Amino acid sequence: MDAPNLIAAVQALQPDATVRAQSDRPTLIVPAHALVALATRLRDDPALRFDLLETHTAVDWLDEDRLELLYLLTSVPLGHHLTLSVSVDRDAPLVPTLCKVYPIAEWLEREAYDMFGILYDDHPDLRRLFLEDDWVGFPLRKDYEDDFMLERPE
Amino acid sequence: MGVITDNLPGVLEPLPGGSVLVTAVDQLINWSRSNSLWPLTFGTSCCAIEMMMATGAARHDMARFGAEVARPSPRQADLLVIAGTIVKRMAPRLRTLYEQMAEPRYVMATGSCAICGGPFMYHSYTTIRGADEIIPVDVYVPGCPPRPEAFFYGLLTLQKMIREGESIRHPGERRRPVLAALPEGMTLDDIRKEMQDLLSHDANVNMTDAAAEGAHYSAELKDF
Repeated sequence: MDAPNLIAAVQALQPDATVRAQSDRPTLIVPAHALVALATRLRDDPALRFDLLETHTAVDWLDEDRLELLYLLTSVPLGHHLTLSVSVDRDAPLVPTLCKVYPIAEWLEREAYDMFGILYDDHPDLRRLFLEDDWVGFPLRKDYEDDFMLERPE
Repeated sequence: MGVITDNLPGVLEPLPGGSVLVTAVDQLINWSRSNSLWPLTFGTSCCAIEMMMATGAARHDMARFGAEVARPSPRQADLLVIAGTIVKRMAPRLRTLYEQMAEPRYVMATGSCAICGGPFMYHSYTTIRGADEIIPVDVYVPGCPPRPEAFFYGLLTLQKMIREGESIRHPGERRRPVLAALPEGMTLDDIRKEMQDLLSHDANVNMTDAAAEGAHYSAELKDF
């Protein structure tokens, strides 16, 4: 399915999804509460069949005081791609987990928790993945600082 | 008494009764150590891939210098090539690997990350700024990543260091760490020539040279 058709098909499932500008593959902004239901339908719909969560990551938009979560979906049998974007508050980054829909999301979400401090509601095992368990802070946030870091001399 | 004792007087002296006396033992040991480096199978990032391609493939084969037997166990290895970024979480493991290796053990730090943290020196929450903050390093090989010839220049430097290095009387005494940067104006052909010289002179025991050297030692012993 090509990009305009894909966007139309997903918007038929989720009418309040809007297209994200400046994306090199079809990207839809969806509200956090609709995420799990929409992902389930995207996976099970015979015309869409998004059976693979390629990756999940986040972007820290410090100026806008929000974290943007990106879910990169791929359909292996149909060969098309879709990105879902969910924005959450920087101070209370709470989203529902996608573990029940895509089991791989368990570790991807652990990584996003490790680096950005995003809290996944109903996640079975939300621990740090790469950093030590006693690490303080979330290093991929733009305002992260610790004693180990060196400033570049001018 | 056989070809070795006949041709290497001074290094191996035959004694009555069929046994031999090894006199220039430091030379012999250092020569064999430098030509049988067993690297540990260890690599942390892109430099490791470069190193594997450079050393394992046909064009720059490391086997020519007796260093191709990569050992997966640190207890059997004596060369640790730090190829890649060392992060906070890797550092204690690297220290453990180093401590598990038996003496004599040698360490080469290849690439910018292993030398100083490289591109991750500033604003990094986790990159160690140089592997020498964790373990002592013998040879530094600069590059990002080092070219194969730079890597081999580092290996040759390490072999030279080992040959000039420890003696039985002073075990554990080493030369200071060296930077094996390619000298200014050195070309690939120069390195090839040096490698070839090394291979033709060294990897095969040159009986004529060794005999001459041995005769020299024998003369010294007689005076003694």
